[in-house]
Amino acid sequence: MKYPEIDKYAELDSVIHRFDPRAKIITFTLLIFSFVFIENLGVAFLTLLFSFFILLLSKIPLGFMFDRMKPGLIFVFPFLVIMPFAVEGNVLFSIYGLNITYEGVYYGILVFVRAATSIMFALTMLGTTKMDVTMKSLYSLKVPAPLVQTLMFSYRYVFVFIDEFISMWTAMTSKGFKLKANKHSLSVVGNIVGMLLVRSCERAERVHHSMSSKGYTGESRTIVKFKMQMTDYCLVAFLVGIALIFKMYEMSLL
Amino acid sequence: MHISDGVLSPAVIAFGWIVSIVFIAFSFKWAQKHGSIAEQIPKLSVFTAAFFVASLIHINVPPTSVHLILNGLLGVVLGALAYPAMFIGLVLQALLFQHGGITTIGINSFNVGVPALISYVAFRKGSAMGLSKPVIGGICGGLAILLTTVFLALVLITAGEQFEMMAKLVIIPHMVIMVIEAVITASVVAYLAKVKPELLPLDKEDNK
Repeated sequence: MKYPEIDKYAELDSVIHRFDPRAKIITFTLLIFSFVFIENLGVAFLTLLFSFFILLLSKIPLGFMFDRMKPGLIFVFPFLVIMPFAVEGNVLFSIYGLNITYEGVYYGILVFVRAATSIMFALTMLGTTKMDVTMKSLYSLKVPAPLVQTLMFSYRYVFVFIDEFISMWTAMTSKGFKLKANKHSLSVVGNIVGMLLVRSCERAERVHHSMSSKGYTGESRTIVKFKMQMTDYCLVAFLVGIALIFKMYEMSLL
Repeated sequence: MHISDGVLSPAVIAFGWIVSIVFIAFSFKWAQKHGSIAEQIPKLSVFTAAFFVASLIHINVPPTSVHLILNGLLGVVLGALAYPAMFIGLVLQALLFQHGGITTIGINSFNVGVPALISYVAFRKGSAMGLSKPVIGGICGGLAILLTTVFLALVLITAGEQFEMMAKLVIIPHMVIMVIEAVITASVVAYLAKVKPELLPLDKEDNK
């Protein structure tokens, strides 16, 4: 089990790092939402190149990025493999009676490219801002406070529980436990999960007491101030402009 | 399994987000009836994190490895708040581990959240009928995964006929997960009933 160190390189300095976090969230979300619905494979490849260009601008080490991208790509990989066989259409060639169709290959690659584009944008967005700044900017974007608070606290506790789980796991394996898919193993896992829940419940009570003794009422207060600069407006205009050009090109308006 | 970006049509994505927003709003309303929101938020966050970590446990089922979802158990323990918990869990999964997509968070929450709510209701009904808690817990754990699989397959089919084969293929590994989760949920419920019964939604009379 590894720590999810997504913002390891948030201290670097680049155009994307200096981009106002609120504007960054809105623009990148807009880009992701407009690019995942692109139907034309050629345009989809262009958006992938564009997301790679933005990634290069952010100066985040590529090795780190590709490492982070892997799990996401593994998720869509089945589409790339299965779609060529699953979709009916013009047969390209056949192996052992299984037909590989042009439409299948097209859709498979399209899904894969769209997913890769979206992952690349999401990683660039998150990788260039400290996680706590990202969360705080959600407040000023008027996301409901209970939701943002839960997100912040859970993010914080993920690390605590990973530690707690690792220590329980070390205790188990040092006593010779091996995880297999049999009834004994599973009931042991059940006990571990149960223990994690009991511990977390007790921790929740302690956390709540300590928070309310410091005056927590469920409202959010933040001391981070954001200010949009001229460069931020330019960057927003540039990115949104590119998204529009891609959309118009796809609808063959250009 | 989560659905990644780039698979679904805009209509399905929009449906997922709208339903999720409505459910989250309602469940916070429900939570406020059961105590102040300031009290609920730490509890909700801590449980979300615990379930997030539990879902990182991978179990080797040759030839692949599956990870736990535990939405049935989450429903049993958290009640209506299971929906926002699942939503936040998926946001964290998508942002921190790139499991599943950004645009599909809405529909993915629907796929796991609604079965969680159903298993909460089923657990209360079952324990009111006097069934043994581990048994009803196991049924809830299995049922939640079954429903999730059905939703997942339906969503893939509505995405277009080209995904029909995928929809059929996702069912098989999920049947394995279903059995695993049923056993684990049963054993968690048995453990909680012994160690901390107040975590289970039991009526007062049951606690004798």
